[in-house]
Amino acid sequence: MSQQTLADKVGVTRQTIFAIEKDKYSPSLEVAFKISNVFKTPLEDVFTYD
Amino acid sequence: MNMSYKEKSLIASLGVTLLLFGWYLYGAFSNLSLNPELPGFIEIIILIVWVVVLESIIQSVLAIKNKSQLEDERDKLIEKISYRYSYGFLSVCIWFLMVQILLDTRFDNHLMLTTPYGMFHFLLLFFVLSEVIRFGTQLYYYRKGV
Repeated sequence: MSQQTLADKVGVTRQTIFAIEKDKYSPSLEVAFKISNVFKTPLEDVFTYD
Repeated sequence: MNMSYKEKSLIASLGVTLLLFGWYLYGAFSNLSLNPELPGFIEIIILIVWVVVLESIIQSVLAIKNKSQLEDERDKLIEKISYRYSYGFLSVCIWFLMVQILLDTRFDNHLMLTTPYGMFHFLLLFFVLSEVIRFGTQLYYYRKGV
Protein backbone atom coordinates (compact mmCIF):
# COMPACT_ATOMS: atom_id res chain seq x y z
CA MET A 1 0.00 0.00 0.00
CA SER A 2 1.35 3.42 -0.91
CA GLN A 3 1.75 6.21 1.64
CA GLN A 4 -0.82 8.29 -0.25
CA THR A 5 -3.41 5.48 -0.18
CA LEU A 6 -2.93 4.95 3.55
CA ALA A 7 -3.04 8.71 4.15
CA ASP A 8 -6.34 8.99 2.23
CA LYS A 9 -7.87 6.12 4.18
CA VAL A 10 -6.79 7.52 7.54
CA GLY A 11 -7.56 11.16 6.70
CA VAL A 12 -4.11 12.64 7.14
CA THR A 13 -1.49 13.94 4.71
CA ARG A 14 1.11 11.75 3.03
CA GLN A 15 3.78 13.75 4.87
CA THR A 16 2.27 12.69 8.20
CA ILE A 17 2.40 9.00 7.24
CA PHE A 18 6.02 9.55 6.14
CA ALA A 19 6.80 11.27 9.48
CA ILE A 20 5.22 8.38 11.45
CA GLU A 21 7.27 5.83 9.48
CA LYS A 22 10.47 7.78 10.07
CA ASP A 23 9.68 8.07 13.80
CA LYS A 24 9.43 11.86 13.52
CA TYR A 25 5.85 12.06 14.71
CA SER A 26 3.79 10.15 17.30
CA PRO A 27 0.20 10.05 16.07
CA SER A 28 -2.86 10.53 18.27
CA LEU A 29 -4.69 7.44 19.51
CA GLU A 30 -7.43 8.12 16.95
CA VAL A 31 -5.03 8.07 14.00
CA ALA A 32 -3.14 5.07 15.46
CA PHE A 33 -6.41 3.09 15.70
CA LYS A 34 -7.41 4.14 12.18
CA ILE A 35 -4.07 2.89 10.82
CA SER A 36 -4.41 -0.44 12.62
CA ASN A 37 -8.00 -0.72 11.32
CA VAL A 38 -6.78 -0.20 7.74
CA PHE A 39 -4.35 -3.10 8.16
CA LYS A 40 -6.93 -5.09 10.17
CA THR A 41 -4.35 -5.86 12.84
CA PRO A 42 -4.19 -5.06 16.58
CA LEU A 43 -2.72 -1.69 17.53
CA GLU A 44 0.30 -3.23 19.27
CA ASP A 45 1.28 -5.03 16.04
CA VAL A 46 1.54 -1.71 14.21
CA PHE A 47 2.95 0.49 16.98
CA THR A 48 5.41 -0.27 19.75
CA TYR A 49 6.35 1.92 22.70
CA ASP A 50 10.09 2.42 23.21
CA MET B 1 14.73 18.51 -1.29
CA ASN B 2 11.21 17.08 -1.22
CA MET B 3 9.01 19.73 0.40
CA SER B 4 5.34 19.54 1.27
CA TYR B 5 2.76 22.15 0.29
CA LYS B 6 2.78 23.44 3.86
CA GLU B 7 6.55 23.96 3.86
CA LYS B 8 6.49 25.77 0.51
CA SER B 9 3.64 27.95 1.76
CA LEU B 10 5.60 28.80 4.93
CA ILE B 11 8.74 29.66 2.97
CA ALA B 12 6.67 31.96 0.73
CA SER B 13 5.12 33.72 3.75
CA LEU B 14 8.52 34.03 5.41
CA GLY B 15 10.03 35.44 2.21
CA VAL B 16 7.29 38.03 1.68
CA THR B 17 7.39 39.11 5.33
CA LEU B 18 11.17 39.46 5.36
CA LEU B 19 11.33 41.16 1.98
CA LEU B 20 8.62 43.81 2.34
CA PHE B 21 8.66 44.51 6.08
CA GLY B 22 12.45 44.14 6.12
CA TRP B 23 12.78 46.70 3.34
CA TYR B 24 10.39 49.09 5.11
CA LEU B 25 11.98 48.66 8.55
CA TYR B 26 15.49 49.05 7.16
CA GLY B 27 14.48 52.45 5.74
CA ALA B 28 12.67 53.40 8.94
CA PHE B 29 15.56 52.54 11.27
CA SER B 30 18.06 54.31 9.02
CA ASN B 31 16.13 57.52 9.77
CA LEU B 32 15.76 56.88 13.49
CA SER B 33 18.41 59.38 14.60
CA LEU B 34 16.98 62.16 12.39
CA ASN B 35 13.85 62.44 14.57
CA PRO B 36 11.50 62.01 11.60
CA GLU B 37 7.73 62.25 11.41
CA LEU B 38 5.54 59.18 11.66
CA PRO B 39 4.69 57.65 8.29
CA GLY B 40 1.30 58.53 6.90
CA PHE B 41 -1.68 56.23 7.25
CA ILE B 42 -1.75 55.76 3.46
CA GLU B 43 1.92 54.61 3.37
CA ILE B 44 1.23 51.90 5.94
CA ILE B 45 -1.93 50.80 4.12
CA ILE B 46 0.05 50.58 0.83
CA LEU B 47 2.69 48.41 2.55
CA ILE B 48 0.04 46.08 3.99
CA VAL B 49 -1.78 45.88 0.63
CA TRP B 50 1.52 44.94 -1.05
CA VAL B 51 2.09 42.17 1.51
CA VAL B 52 -1.46 40.84 1.10
CA VAL B 53 -1.39 40.98 -2.72
CA LEU B 54 2.06 39.35 -3.04
CA GLU B 55 1.20 36.71 -0.47
CA SER B 56 -2.14 35.94 -2.18
CA ILE B 57 -0.50 35.56 -5.61
CA ILE B 58 2.22 33.22 -4.30
CA GLN B 59 -0.21 31.16 -2.21
CA SER B 60 -2.61 30.83 -5.16
CA VAL B 61 0.17 29.60 -7.46
CA LEU B 62 1.27 27.09 -4.79
CA ALA B 63 -2.31 25.90 -4.26
CA ILE B 64 -2.79 25.32 -8.00
CA LYS B 65 0.48 23.38 -8.25
CA ASN B 66 -0.18 21.24 -5.16
CA LYS B 67 -3.31 19.10 -5.14
CA SER B 68 -3.27 17.96 -1.51
CA GLN B 69 -3.93 20.84 0.89
CA LEU B 70 -5.55 18.86 3.68
CA GLU B 71 -4.60 20.02 7.18
CA ASP B 72 -4.27 17.25 9.75
CA GLU B 73 -3.42 16.86 13.44
CA ARG B 74 0.34 17.11 12.84
CA ASP B 75 -0.08 20.47 11.07
CA LYS B 76 -2.26 21.74 13.93
CA LEU B 77 0.24 20.56 16.56
CA ILE B 78 3.17 22.23 14.79
CA GLU B 79 1.13 25.42 14.39
CA LYS B 80 0.27 25.37 18.10
CA ILE B 81 3.93 24.98 19.09
CA SER B 82 4.98 27.81 16.77
CA TYR B 83 2.30 30.15 18.17
CA ARG B 84 3.60 29.43 21.68
CA TYR B 85 7.14 30.52 20.74
CA SER B 86 5.88 33.50 18.79
CA TYR B 87 3.60 34.63 21.63
CA GLY B 88 6.41 34.21 24.18
CA PHE B 89 8.74 36.37 22.13
CA LEU B 90 6.11 39.05 21.52
CA SER B 91 5.19 39.15 25.24
CA VAL B 92 8.83 39.72 26.22
CA CYS B 93 9.13 42.50 23.63
CA ILE B 94 5.94 44.23 24.79
CA TRP B 95 7.10 44.09 28.42
CA PHE B 96 10.48 45.48 27.34
CA LEU B 97 8.78 48.38 25.59
CA MET B 98 6.47 49.02 28.54
CA VAL B 99 9.43 49.15 30.94
CA GLN B 100 11.22 51.55 28.56
CA ILE B 101 8.19 53.85 28.54
CA LEU B 102 7.93 53.75 32.34
CA LEU B 103 11.65 54.49 32.75
CA ASP B 104 11.43 57.27 30.22
CA THR B 105 8.49 58.85 32.07
CA ARG B 106 10.17 58.42 35.45
CA PHE B 107 13.65 59.64 34.58
CA ASP B 108 12.82 61.89 31.63
CA ASN B 109 15.40 60.13 29.44
CA HIS B 110 13.81 60.89 26.06
CA LEU B 111 14.97 57.65 24.46
CA MET B 112 14.44 57.28 20.70
CA LEU B 113 12.59 54.09 21.53
CA THR B 114 9.82 55.97 23.34
CA THR B 115 9.14 58.66 20.77
CA PRO B 116 5.97 57.96 18.71
CA TYR B 117 8.15 57.20 15.65
CA GLY B 118 10.46 54.87 17.55
CA MET B 119 7.62 53.15 19.41
CA PHE B 120 5.62 52.57 16.23
CA HIS B 121 8.58 51.04 14.41
CA PHE B 122 9.80 48.98 17.35
CA LEU B 123 6.27 47.57 17.74
CA LEU B 124 6.23 46.78 14.02
CA LEU B 125 9.71 45.22 14.27
CA PHE B 126 8.64 43.04 17.23
CA PHE B 127 5.50 41.97 15.38
CA VAL B 128 7.48 41.09 12.23
CA LEU B 129 10.10 39.20 14.28
CA SER B 130 7.37 37.23 16.05
CA GLU B 131 5.93 36.30 12.64
CA VAL B 132 9.40 35.23 11.48
CA ILE B 133 9.72 33.09 14.62
CA ARG B 134 6.29 31.55 13.93
CA PHE B 135 7.16 30.64 10.33
CA GLY B 136 10.70 29.57 11.22
CA THR B 137 9.57 27.34 14.10
CA GLN B 138 7.00 25.64 11.90
CA LEU B 139 9.61 24.99 9.21
CA TYR B 140 12.00 23.63 11.84
CA TYR B 141 9.43 21.22 13.28
CA TYR B 142 8.31 20.05 9.83
CA ARG B 143 11.94 19.08 9.15
CA LYS B 144 12.96 17.84 12.61
CA GLY B 145 9.65 16.24 13.58
CA VAL B 146 7.52 16.57 16.70
